[in-house]
Amino acid sequence: MKSGSTLTTAESTLQLLKPPSVVTGHLTIGGLDDQVLTPVGTKPPLAWFVAFSVTLSATLIGIALIAYTIATGIGVWGNNVPVAWAFDIINFVFWVGIGHAGTLISAILLLFRARWRNAISRFSEAMTIFAVICATLFPLIHVGRPWLAFWLAPYPNQRAIWPNFRSPLLWDVFAVNTYFLVSLLFWYIGLIPDLASLRDRTTNRVKKAVYTVLALGWRGASLHWHHYERAYLIIAGLATGLVLSVHSVVSFDFAVSLVPGWHMTIFPPYFVTGAIFAGFAMVVMAMVVVRKTMRLENLITDYHLEVMNKVILTCSCLMGYAYLLEGFTAWYSMNPYIHHTFMQYITGSYWWAGWLTITCNVLIPQLLWLRPIRRSYSGMILVAVAVTVGMWFERFVIIVSSLHQDFLPSSWQIYKPTFVDYGILLGSFGLFFTLVLLFARVLPVIATSEMKMVLPGSQPAHKGGRHE
Amino acid sequence: MNKQPGVRGMGADRKLIVLAGAGLVGIVVSWIVSGGERFWANWILWFLFLLTIGLGSLFIVALEHVVGARWSIPLRRVPERLSSLVLIVAPIALLALLSLDSLYSWTSPEALANPIIAGKRPWLNVPFFIARVIACLLLWGLAWWILVRGSIKQDKTRDARFNLRARRFAPLFMIIFGITITIVAFDWISSMEPEWYSDIFGVYIFAGTFLAGLAATTLALLYLQSRGRLKDITRDHMYNLGGFLFAFTVFWSYIGFAQYMLMWYANIPEEVFWYQERIEGAWGPILLGLAVFHFLVPFFLLIPRDAKRDPRFLFWTAAIMLFSHWLDLYWMIFPVLDLGPLFGLPEISFSILFVSAALLWIRFSMTRGADMPAGDPLLSEGLEFRL
Amino acid sequence: MSDRKIFSVVGIFDSAQHLMNAIPDIRKRVNAPLEAYTPYPVEGLDKLLGYRKSPVGGMVLVMGIIGALSALGFELWTSGRDYPQVTAGKPLFSWEAFVPIMFEVTVLFAAFTAGLGMLLLLNRLPMFRHPMLRSSSLPLVTRDRFALAVEARGAEIDVEKITRLLQEFGAKSVEVVEEPAPAGVASPKFFLRTLTAIGIVCILAGFITYWTMKLFPIVKPMVHMLDQPRLNPQSPSRYFSDGSGMRMPVSGTVARGSVPYTIRNQELAGDLVNPLYRTETVLRQGRQAYMNNCSVCHGVLGDGKTSLTKAYGAKPANLVSQSIAGLPDGKLYHVIVAGKNAMASYSAELGEDERWATVHYLRVLQRAANARDEDIPK
Repeated sequence: MKSGSTLTTAESTLQLLKPPSVVTGHLTIGGLDDQVLTPVGTKPPLAWFVAFSVTLSATLIGIALIAYTIATGIGVWGNNVPVAWAFDIINFVFWVGIGHAGTLISAILLLFRARWRNAISRFSEAMTIFAVICATLFPLIHVGRPWLAFWLAPYPNQRAIWPNFRSPLLWDVFAVNTYFLVSLLFWYIGLIPDLASLRDRTTNRVKKAVYTVLALGWRGASLHWHHYERAYLIIAGLATGLVLSVHSVVSFDFAVSLVPGWHMTIFPPYFVTGAIFAGFAMVVMAMVVVRKTMRLENLITDYHLEVMNKVILTCSCLMGYAYLLEGFTAWYSMNPYIHHTFMQYITGSYWWAGWLTITCNVLIPQLLWLRPIRRSYSGMILVAVAVTVGMWFERFVIIVSSLHQDFLPSSWQIYKPTFVDYGILLGSFGLFFTLVLLFARVLPVIATSEMKMVLPGSQPAHKGGRHE
Repeated sequence: MNKQPGVRGMGADRKLIVLAGAGLVGIVVSWIVSGGERFWANWILWFLFLLTIGLGSLFIVALEHVVGARWSIPLRRVPERLSSLVLIVAPIALLALLSLDSLYSWTSPEALANPIIAGKRPWLNVPFFIARVIACLLLWGLAWWILVRGSIKQDKTRDARFNLRARRFAPLFMIIFGITITIVAFDWISSMEPEWYSDIFGVYIFAGTFLAGLAATTLALLYLQSRGRLKDITRDHMYNLGGFLFAFTVFWSYIGFAQYMLMWYANIPEEVFWYQERIEGAWGPILLGLAVFHFLVPFFLLIPRDAKRDPRFLFWTAAIMLFSHWLDLYWMIFPVLDLGPLFGLPEISFSILFVSAALLWIRFSMTRGADMPAGDPLLSEGLEFRL
Repeated sequence: MSDRKIFSVVGIFDSAQHLMNAIPDIRKRVNAPLEAYTPYPVEGLDKLLGYRKSPVGGMVLVMGIIGALSALGFELWTSGRDYPQVTAGKPLFSWEAFVPIMFEVTVLFAAFTAGLGMLLLLNRLPMFRHPMLRSSSLPLVTRDRFALAVEARGAEIDVEKITRLLQEFGAKSVEVVEEPAPAGVASPKFFLRTLTAIGIVCILAGFITYWTMKLFPIVKPMVHMLDQPRLNPQSPSRYFSDGSGMRMPVSGTVARGSVPYTIRNQELAGDLVNPLYRTETVLRQGRQAYMNNCSVCHGVLGDGKTSLTKAYGAKPANLVSQSIAGLPDGKLYHVIVAGKNAMASYSAELGEDERWATVHYLRVLQRAANARDEDIPK
């Protein structure tokens, strides 16, 4: 091996080892503003209207069916003894889970100082908020008398009683509400500098008034940035705690019970991992569409997609671990009820859902070990769709399959969802994507101030300092 | 560059050898006086303590390769050296197999009268157990060979291809690690009470392991710095390390609380008895101590930003965390003896023996070879890291 | 030249580096306070401008602890003391079950302290009347320029000197920013005061509502219906001559559905005839009535041998003896209705049908006690 070729090998190896730049191509700070802020508030292209009409129709179908449910009663759903929880809770857990990816990207990656996160943090945080909105819909409508839902709040009342703080269902109320409020706060605080930019760019009087109020008079003062950075970092740290705790509290809904197959101590981290898993799949799908349609490939680069795919792969392996351990413990516990429930997952009336879950969550994402799949759009979308379907069905398996054959054999029954169940699920997807589409046109999808921070050359050179 | 004066003070070494000798005598005496069961409980405790430190350190090394982090490259040699514990612990593990008869009730024929334990025979039988132990040791040895020995070799060859190899192997090691740590948790600790089961237990032991590796790394790093080495590692590096210590303290507490609360809430007798044994009587204060020293104290100590950068603060916090990890293992293992929390001659002599032996080994191994992965092409970038 | 006072002199720089380079020089030469304006946070700028550590962290820690303790305290008080209810066998002060909500409330308090504390308290936002918001430099700053402002803060400043200095150290343009008209209603202090007031009102309202719900309902005049001019049970009454509110029923009153039993002694009852046929249903009914009411004293087999004989020295009659077996149905019926010796009347426990059914069953017992071979079915 001649020294010349060794050097080239070393150089090329070094290139492989270093992460690429956060933006591809050359971009000035002002250019970034132009690229990201110009489409905000302008008339969208035709494709957007087509997509919007589809999602809006889905939303309206969902709303109509929710109205039907509230007017008539929960009997229009397929829920019945023993499967008293079905699509309502499946959808709730599904949507809350999807929200967690956004917080992971915007909060946890901020704590790790992963600069590549800045291009996708705004969008994913918005997805979190919309997903949580979709999620809170379900507990609200599944209570049967939603107009009395305020009874869950701990206020002094004539009945002289307090809500049951020992119940995980109430923990859910607090956790999801806290998650929503804190995510909203985090997202809004991140938006303030961008709103100031929009305020200063626009010439339209109405828009200027709106942006002025929303930007709270932000002027980029360094003293303000000083406090802002600290508060932002702290809220990110707190939001990280929320990522772990909120879905753990959701898992407690199941794990504190005695239903076989539900009372497994691994549920909290298993649910959190599943949440991140499903959320990242949704983010990948959204990112692929956004970067293409809004021409942001230089900001949301192939590297972003590759890293997100690696996260999906990691989560898939963790889910495989969790399934393995559930199966092992179902045997190891020597508890015939848990054993029966687990066998139901894979050989019972809903065996197809169990195998669909395992295939979509553990087998298909393993394709991401292969670099070509990680870098091709069709590959990643295939995996992302599989993961979304798989994660929805995982909750189906956990809830419906465990419940349909619980303690009393005389109560065993097959659960059949009604068209109302399907319609409301469709409506939730419609609501989510409607909000996403609206967000993409009304607010900047990339956090310009955060992005400007990490553009090459934007920070003064330290005495040899680096930030990775 | 290899041997630095002032580090291997012969006086300190001699003292440690003497202490270790005293410890050895002590454990032999305690075998005769207190009996085999207590002897083996201590043996398993220290075996697992050292194993978790070694595995945790190996995990840190692999994690760095998986994520491609560069700030931690200058520090990497410390956990790499600590990870050789997974090799050193092999004879201790094999000797620990002798404890199966006394501590692990599923080995006895009477246990097979219990249908629950009899049903677990396909997993809990001696040949398979031994096979698992050997398989784990071999896999950890393989990982050490690829990740650590490769890194040490790279000091001389300066071949960047090691990094590529490590990056390709590290994710695979993560899978191996996940499965083997779960096996360690289920086999060595959980099967001491074979009727009990908890599927989060592997994750719980993982959390403790990772923290043990981080704490040991921090302590070793600060020890070396106090001896004038690793001067290029700045407070910014320490801040990141402190951040990890904080985050995973929270993670361990979360997993520990989740397991406890779920079992408390459902109150199923065949699960909750494990906790009952470890809360009743004198074990209650020990559990309280665990909550205080494994969660409250490190949590509040590490909140301030400056605390995470201060070497002395970090040293004492890491020391508390390592001690509380030992306490965690003690609290999990010793209730099996049914004698209440003991700290007598056996425990003291085992502590003296293993701590002095470990310190001796650390002093020996830390002084050989480069302090940092000198051959890593990204080392300079790691050194330039600033917050 | 307007008659507005000068707020600051602002120099615009092309890059963060230029701004950072200029600041130490300007600081040395100018006595007035400096403020920098950047489109994004620039590293090292706060140190260069001499800012102290931000107090956000301390505020968050304090409020977080307050949040944790108040949440835990609230849960313990409501579930343990104010409305103590045992759920699922858990102890009243079950801290384990209270941890999740405690954690969430802590995060909520801490996050909102960080966010709102930073905005309202430390940064004094919203503030819509800051002079910089009207300057022509700000749109440049929010896009991609970096500004350094030398502020007057009430004192007189030498505009020309500062302009020269700024340009000397790299400013591409300089602007003089004037103070606007005095602030109106929408000032940060107003927002802060309003929010605090709303917060205090909410907390007060909570307390007031609680005590109103708890105390008020049991205080007159809210409960005037408790105080009615009616005769309550067991109270005296001056309406009646003996002063007692409790009255006995009029003599001769019978219970609904009962027929008066006028036979005075067992001898006369001998003429009564059992109106029920001896069917299996009747016998079963009789057996049930016997087992429930009679067997405790007279024994399951009717022989009077029960634990009562030993325990109380009582001597219940042996119902399967020859003497009692020889009695006609009516006399047995009479004993059930009127009682005999130590046995009380069972007319209240057994209705008429049940009594006659019991009599039939007694015959069964008597027959069983004196069974013959012919009684066994083939």
